[in-house]
Amino acid sequence: MSIFPLLFVIIPLAAAAIIAVFYRVWERSGDVFTNVANAALLVLSLALVPTVMKGEIISYDWGHSSSLGIHFSIDSLSLLMLITISVICLAASLYSVNYMERYTSKPRYYILLMLMIAGMNIVPLAADLVNLYIGIEIAAVACYALVAFGVEHEYLEASFKYQIMGTVGTLCILPGIAFLYRMTGSLNIVELHGILAGQGLTPILLFSAILLLCGLGLKAAYMPFHAWLPDAHSTAPSPVSAILSGVFIKVIGLYGMIRVFFCIFEMTTTISWILMVFGSISLLLGVFLALGQWDSKRLLAYHSISQMGYILLGLGIATPLGILGGLFHLVNHALFKGLLFLDVGSVEMQTGTRELKELGGLNQKMPVTGITSAIASLSISGFPPFNGFWSKLIIIIAAIQAGYPWFAAIAAIGSILTMASFLKVEKYIFFGSLPEKLQKVKEAPMLMCIPMVLLAALCLGIGIAFPWIIDVFIRPAADVLLILGS
Amino acid sequence: MNSSMLLWAVFLPIIAGALCFAIPDRIKWLREGFTAVVTLATLVIAVLIFLSPEMRFQTAELGFAPVKFLDFYSYHFSSFLIMFVSLFGFLISLYSMKYMEGRGRLREYYPYILLTVGAANGALLSDNFLPFLGFWGIILVALFLFTTIGSRDASPERIFDAANKNMMILGGADLALIMGVGFLWYLSGSLTLSEVSIPLHGAMAISAFVLIMIGAIAKAGAMPMHSWIPHMAEASPASVMAFLPASLDKLLGIYLLSRIVLDFFELNLSMSLLLMIIGAVTIIAAVMMAMIQHDLRKLLSFHAVSQVGYMVLGIGTGTPIGIAGAIFHMLNHAIYKSCLFLTAGSVERRAGTMDLAKLGGLGRMMPFTMVAFFIAALSISGVPPLNGFVSKWMVYQGIIEAGAAQYWIFLVVAMFGSALTLASFIKVGHSVFLGDKPREIGVVKEAEHSMRFPMVVLAVLCVVFGIFAQLPLVYFIGPVVGISFPAFPAAISWTGIWSPTSGTILLLVALAIGGLIYLAGRIRVARTAPLYIGGETTGEGTTDSLSHAPGRLTGLRDTRVLGTEFYDTIRNMEGLKRAYDKGEAAAFDIYSYGKHVFPISEVLKLLHNGRLANYVSWCLWGLIILFIVMASIG
Repeated sequence: MSIFPLLFVIIPLAAAAIIAVFYRVWERSGDVFTNVANAALLVLSLALVPTVMKGEIISYDWGHSSSLGIHFSIDSLSLLMLITISVICLAASLYSVNYMERYTSKPRYYILLMLMIAGMNIVPLAADLVNLYIGIEIAAVACYALVAFGVEHEYLEASFKYQIMGTVGTLCILPGIAFLYRMTGSLNIVELHGILAGQGLTPILLFSAILLLCGLGLKAAYMPFHAWLPDAHSTAPSPVSAILSGVFIKVIGLYGMIRVFFCIFEMTTTISWILMVFGSISLLLGVFLALGQWDSKRLLAYHSISQMGYILLGLGIATPLGILGGLFHLVNHALFKGLLFLDVGSVEMQTGTRELKELGGLNQKMPVTGITSAIASLSISGFPPFNGFWSKLIIIIAAIQAGYPWFAAIAAIGSILTMASFLKVEKYIFFGSLPEKLQKVKEAPMLMCIPMVLLAALCLGIGIAFPWIIDVFIRPAADVLLILGS
Repeated sequence: MNSSMLLWAVFLPIIAGALCFAIPDRIKWLREGFTAVVTLATLVIAVLIFLSPEMRFQTAELGFAPVKFLDFYSYHFSSFLIMFVSLFGFLISLYSMKYMEGRGRLREYYPYILLTVGAANGALLSDNFLPFLGFWGIILVALFLFTTIGSRDASPERIFDAANKNMMILGGADLALIMGVGFLWYLSGSLTLSEVSIPLHGAMAISAFVLIMIGAIAKAGAMPMHSWIPHMAEASPASVMAFLPASLDKLLGIYLLSRIVLDFFELNLSMSLLLMIIGAVTIIAAVMMAMIQHDLRKLLSFHAVSQVGYMVLGIGTGTPIGIAGAIFHMLNHAIYKSCLFLTAGSVERRAGTMDLAKLGGLGRMMPFTMVAFFIAALSISGVPPLNGFVSKWMVYQGIIEAGAAQYWIFLVVAMFGSALTLASFIKVGHSVFLGDKPREIGVVKEAEHSMRFPMVVLAVLCVVFGIFAQLPLVYFIGPVVGISFPAFPAAISWTGIWSPTSGTILLLVALAIGGLIYLAGRIRVARTAPLYIGGETTGEGTTDSLSHAPGRLTGLRDTRVLGTEFYDTIRNMEGLKRAYDKGEAAAFDIYSYGKHVFPISEVLKLLHNGRLANYVSWCLWGLIILFIVMASIG
């Protein structure tokens, strides 16, 4: 019993409340409290590393039965997610200080952002399915509002689509949980694992598994459940896009899937194949769609689908190496995709457009954005010494080692196409010749450059120190799935 | 002598490169001097490594696979290669001081040189596939960044297109390599380069071989993965061309290819034939393309492709002498081709252009450059006694020893390619250094000392490795393939007999006699005759060549012999014209087939029409399919 898990929820909620009270008195309260809260969350999550990554589980329980009440627990997988969330959210909130000046009612933005972070933090903390579901919904509702934050036609349309599709997802998740509860009498993830261990799936359990796969798949935006993502991720304000693509879909979609299919149901060959097939389809079609885009943020959004495919492929292989690769890619993707959205955001802010064809030669005018975006592009395309190379390498090699050379080939082809599409981004935004009307463009303000440089440094640093990162962060998390999954 | 020296050979240049970024633009002499000193220090370390016995430096095995973070192993093959990598790094950084003067992005240029040297050393020394693939990829990233710097005369779009192409072809090849390594691990259970050895049986082993081979030949630039080199040549400074595609990429690509054949797999007949066909096609097709080029850089780059054919052909024979020849040719090629690019660079610096039609008569004003050029040009053409001859001769020997009677075709192709190379370089030499100087070029000076030095060193190496070919063969190449070559000054007595040293003496005697005859002829009254240039007409009168010669005043007859008419004749020769037309339309360029991806993208875009009802129905279909699948399988 420890208070730590609760802090991950209290801090963002408290920050939201404080901002709501103070913003009329002190204009800058949003900027200050959001960043302080996010920094505190990062420090808190890092402080737990020595204990949790050794295998200890920190839990907090309130309420008596195993089905009602607040049940939080932090194991190494949860902590990995919490750290990833904190890093990306801190970068995004630093970035927001200048970027969000373009929108009215900045305090409301901060309040929604903190609510979304609170929701996202609940998901990995949750020790039972109801808390998991609550976290997903809090984050999703805050996110609907953030996507619509520009309150113009396209924003509202994207948000509307997202709401409808999100609700379809909820419609699948909730009955899925209900069926599971009906059949087992428990909602606690560890208990469920114990109850279901060793027995085959009855038809109703199978039904519940399919519903959960579909519902969480919708949140995680796998093909064919992906269609809401390009609109939502490209219209949201850039720091929000960075959070959405970087961690949001992984936390509220993928994390749930991992918990359900590794920690509750047993990993069977069928499920493993379904995950791999889903992953490969998303991987390949997502990148094909990205190749044809001319709106830079939409292009990045399609890449999120494709990169999620890599993660799912790695996890679906379900060998120790595959899971390791999948989780490592999850972290890496959060970093470089978050960075890419921040880069594109600063280009959009300084030039007023995100159409690739209207840009060009910005390396001369925006060196920080140019260099950091080159690092992120090299990372996502899988070039050493950046982080994306190692996780893709591990996934491809794991697929071959597990006896799935064709999935490895799909991953390799996807990687070539990813490379092609990011060369296109680099060519049209940062290289080539500068159009006449962009002669007076300046570099983004300092506070926007800092998080970009920070994330770029992480991409490079993790790429160089990857054995250490894998040892300290990724392997303990993968072990959780391996122990429970076997 | 301890094994931490291996670490220095790799990380000294890499760390120095990172520091070099921090040197501000104002003190650029420091940056240039620093780069030269560090590469020289790396060279010294590499020589020390070469002189010491085998060494190994490794970190603990990582927990998730049989891989190590660092695993450096120096043995005869890798240690002689890192010596040359460091040497090229040093020569190029010297050369660049003057050559790159006044160009943009120099702050990045020098660090990239250091980074490339370190990464190339790392790839060559790595004995585990994990660090090997890492360093291998870093070299590509450095190549990409080098290419984006670009040359003066190319537009930003063109420069980036070249960089783009490098990345796509070599990046794709790297992924093939990764797949191949995966297969290799699956089959052999090991990821240590020196432990892997499997027979070439079954589909998986064959695909592993082919995939790794693709990675190797793309780096070296053999067909069909060659097209990045000519494209890059159009948009890159000559020093970058001399450094990467001409020397380092050849060393690395052929190193990997010979490792495949020597260590990883036991070559079988069909794969051997595949390699030999790739080699032969590369030799002939690339040299044909080289014949018709007007731009010096592009011409040299096609020769850089063509010469890879000899190496691939030699390795494909699978005979020790053929492989030894291929490795020797790799070394020789790196030497003479970077020498050629460097001479082209000094011509560009002085005359301001690399267009053959605009050059001429520079020999008198740039004697060092001309001599270096002709030595390297004769060397690449395989004229005895220079180094290119010896290694080509060994490749021919390898083909003959490979046995099968039908292989005569490869022999013919290789020799024919050599003849065409010679023809092409005679024309280049003529149009750049001999002939008349065009009016547009004023009085020019010889290149500066710091540019002259690398050219001279490389030209001297061409001569030394030719006349005293026993030295590299005994010390560098013999141990790799397990042949003990007879030491200097004995003849290299494998089946065919070519004794470089006594052969040279004989040649010199013959030349002296020839000279005497010539002098004797001079005594007679000279007869004047119309200029004969191999049946071509001179610039005078032919409208075709006149249109190619820019900047002429109308009404003035230019009687210069351009030496470029030859190319047009070949270009329009009956039977070749169609192939050339296709070649220029990029039909042989694997990169150009990439555009067929876009229609798929368009179809998928049409499906995403923004209608919510469609999107929701997809979800339903997904749900239904999941039901069917799960219910039927369970």
